[in-house]
Amino acid sequence: MAGWAWTRRLAYVYAASMIAANLLMVYALLARDFSVSYVAHVGSRAVPNWVAVVSLWSSLEGSILFWGLVLGLYIGGATYTNRDRHPEYMPWATGVWLACAAFFSFLVAGPAQPFLTIPSPPTDGPGPNPLLQNHLLMVIHPPLLYAGYVGMTIPFGLAAAALLTGRLGHDFLRPLRTWLMLPWAFLTVAIVLGGWWAYEVLGWGGYWAWDPVENASFLPWLTATAAFHSALLMERKGVLKGWTVTLILATFLLTILGTFMTRSGVFNSVHSFTQSAIGPTILVFLAAATLFCVGLLATRVDRLAPEGGLEPSVSRDTAFLLNNLLFVLLTFTVLVGTVFPLVVEATRGTQMSVGRPYFDRMAVPIGVALLFLMGIGPALPWGRASRVQMRQALLPPLAAAGVFTALGLLAGVRHPWTLVALFCGGYTAQVTLGELWLPVARRMRAHGEGLGAAVSGVQGRARRRVAGYLVHAGAVLALVAVAVSSTEGITTEVQVARGEAVTLGPYTLTFQGVDQLSEPHREAVVANVAVRRGDRDLGLLQPRMNYYASQREPIGTPAVRSSLRHDLYLSVLNIDPEGRSIGLHAMINPMVVWLWIATLVMGLGGLLGLLPSRRVHAAAALAAPPAGEGLEAAR
Amino acid sequence: MNRRVLVAGLAVTLPLVALLVVSLGRDPHRMDAPLVGRPAPPFALRPAGGGQPVTLESLRGRPVLVNFWATWCVPCFQEHPVLTAGSRRYPDVAFLGVVYEDEEPRVQRYLREQGGAYPSLMDDGGKTAIAYGVYGVPETYAIAPDGTIVDKHTGPLTDGRLRALVDKARIGAMVGQGSQ
Repeated sequence: MAGWAWTRRLAYVYAASMIAANLLMVYALLARDFSVSYVAHVGSRAVPNWVAVVSLWSSLEGSILFWGLVLGLYIGGATYTNRDRHPEYMPWATGVWLACAAFFSFLVAGPAQPFLTIPSPPTDGPGPNPLLQNHLLMVIHPPLLYAGYVGMTIPFGLAAAALLTGRLGHDFLRPLRTWLMLPWAFLTVAIVLGGWWAYEVLGWGGYWAWDPVENASFLPWLTATAAFHSALLMERKGVLKGWTVTLILATFLLTILGTFMTRSGVFNSVHSFTQSAIGPTILVFLAAATLFCVGLLATRVDRLAPEGGLEPSVSRDTAFLLNNLLFVLLTFTVLVGTVFPLVVEATRGTQMSVGRPYFDRMAVPIGVALLFLMGIGPALPWGRASRVQMRQALLPPLAAAGVFTALGLLAGVRHPWTLVALFCGGYTAQVTLGELWLPVARRMRAHGEGLGAAVSGVQGRARRRVAGYLVHAGAVLALVAVAVSSTEGITTEVQVARGEAVTLGPYTLTFQGVDQLSEPHREAVVANVAVRRGDRDLGLLQPRMNYYASQREPIGTPAVRSSLRHDLYLSVLNIDPEGRSIGLHAMINPMVVWLWIATLVMGLGGLLGLLPSRRVHAAAALAAPPAGEGLEAAR
Repeated sequence: MNRRVLVAGLAVTLPLVALLVVSLGRDPHRMDAPLVGRPAPPFALRPAGGGQPVTLESLRGRPVLVNFWATWCVPCFQEHPVLTAGSRRYPDVAFLGVVYEDEEPRVQRYLREQGGAYPSLMDDGGKTAIAYGVYGVPETYAIAPDGTIVDKHTGPLTDGRLRALVDKARIGAMVGQGSQ
């Protein structure tokens, strides 16, 4: 036990030293101390202070230092909250975390060296990558992404501890789930915020491009989501222990793969950092971690014997299995598409890229199937369902499925996959909302409570269940929004002279000329485009071109007018120097706002799931409905 | 020890790790040159400062080096001495500059100040650069006596790399046959 006490102290020391190192770097960035190599690299006297702070993670060396900070906070937090729990697992888990911490410390001190001193420091630096100075989202997106990525180290350590001890008892599921949920929620929000940033900044009008680095963040999200679901089955039936642990290990390995992809220079992407020795070092770590995981699984997985069994039947159990299968299939699909260009280049020496068509063709059917399964699964009871039960559970949601499809057809949707997605989305929406509403309604009837009291009572007693269905509701909304926005938009590219008007859908866009803007860190040319819809004047939209001193090519910033129905999205392709005409890229993107709202709902669901449940002495009088046991724990 | 898990785990992960190791030195910004091995797109362009248009056709039978450049391009400035010295060292090779997105007076001033040893041609409207698929300057194409593009270099030239381009342009026909 003395060893365990010392391990804990080491964890706290690691956290404290990482906090100190990062504070020191922030101080150097704010003080514009160009004798520190990282500051000389990304600092600038011209940028505002918030940009100086953000520079901490804007470039390769700093991002590694920041990774260390996030890892330190996670390890410190996870060690502290479990300091007097799970004594048989925690020393192992902390050991695994500290091994990862040792590697990242080595990376900071060895190949990265952000604190290197420059003998003759420059008087000013270039400032961080202009793309990162372009939007406030850049302050939020990377830290959240790191919180998601790095946080996967914690469930990894816990899963490895389960394998190392050869046990995975019921009591250990709770920390495993909590520490998987936290980074998962961060990752979910971060992935979508990244899409939002691309949408608001890059100006091509989309939010997801299947870019290697986007895929890199999506892969661990997929396996982590699969792990949640298999953990539920494990909790309820005592099966799939080895499989759940495998998914968690894979999630961690995929985060390291993603780190490698962004930092090795092997993949080309807007997100890539430049080439350096850090890439090969991370690859060595990835190889070592992979061997460790495979070896650990091979030697220990047989000890995690199942406590029950599954029988083949049309039931929620089977839906869970199918769900896992689909998530893993999607993971492989995305992984293959991401690395396939490397295979071709390594074997045939020619370059190629796997574009959107591959990913869309493969991912859309799987995504739609998952959407449908999200409705069917919770509608079905656990175990074996009778014919009558099945009919009662599966037929009613067809009503909403029909309504959604009809609404889509009325709105002019003709794309077959979008209609299928609307059908499945409607089905799942009815099931999900039913699962959220039924217990509230029962409570209101049984206790004569008001709506507010009933909602708060339900979410207090069955918090995990409510959290799970909130995430599902968000996911339905997100998938429907993705389906509609990616197939039903309209777009035009035109050259317009000053005073000239173009029409796009219901809008009339008149180019009124340009304004010049001068800001400390950039110059900008702003195009004034008056927007009218019928007789209504909707004001000005101002897409712009930004000119940074460190960059020859200007960077555009689109202007977006959002409504619940659709976004009007304008970006400037070119501006002639006197402002007589502009090349305008105008788009109408339907339902995009709902994607952001959906993410908020999913994030809230995740947060709710993290709050400790009050359902310790649940009243037996309030029996949960049969279909309602879904995402709720058997305690 | 569960052998099936071991074999399956290694079968999934090892190829991926091996692939990443092999790809480590890869430059994601490198572009393939689809024109190598194909006939060079013809052009007829007038030299900066005036004079008769120069056609690629008229140089048939000689090895040719076509260098796309601009006055605003720093790497072009770096490789300029390599090219001028090369044009004197290899008199059998026809050196041609093609100016990329630039203005004639600036080109003339640049050549006066830096010295020019071979014609630099004005590519008005950038049609020739588009025909050659120029991605960014500098880019240099080696063209064999029979008019086939035999090699391409992206970025500033060094003496060694120029030598290699010249050698390829000289024996181009054989290289072309060898690769088919």
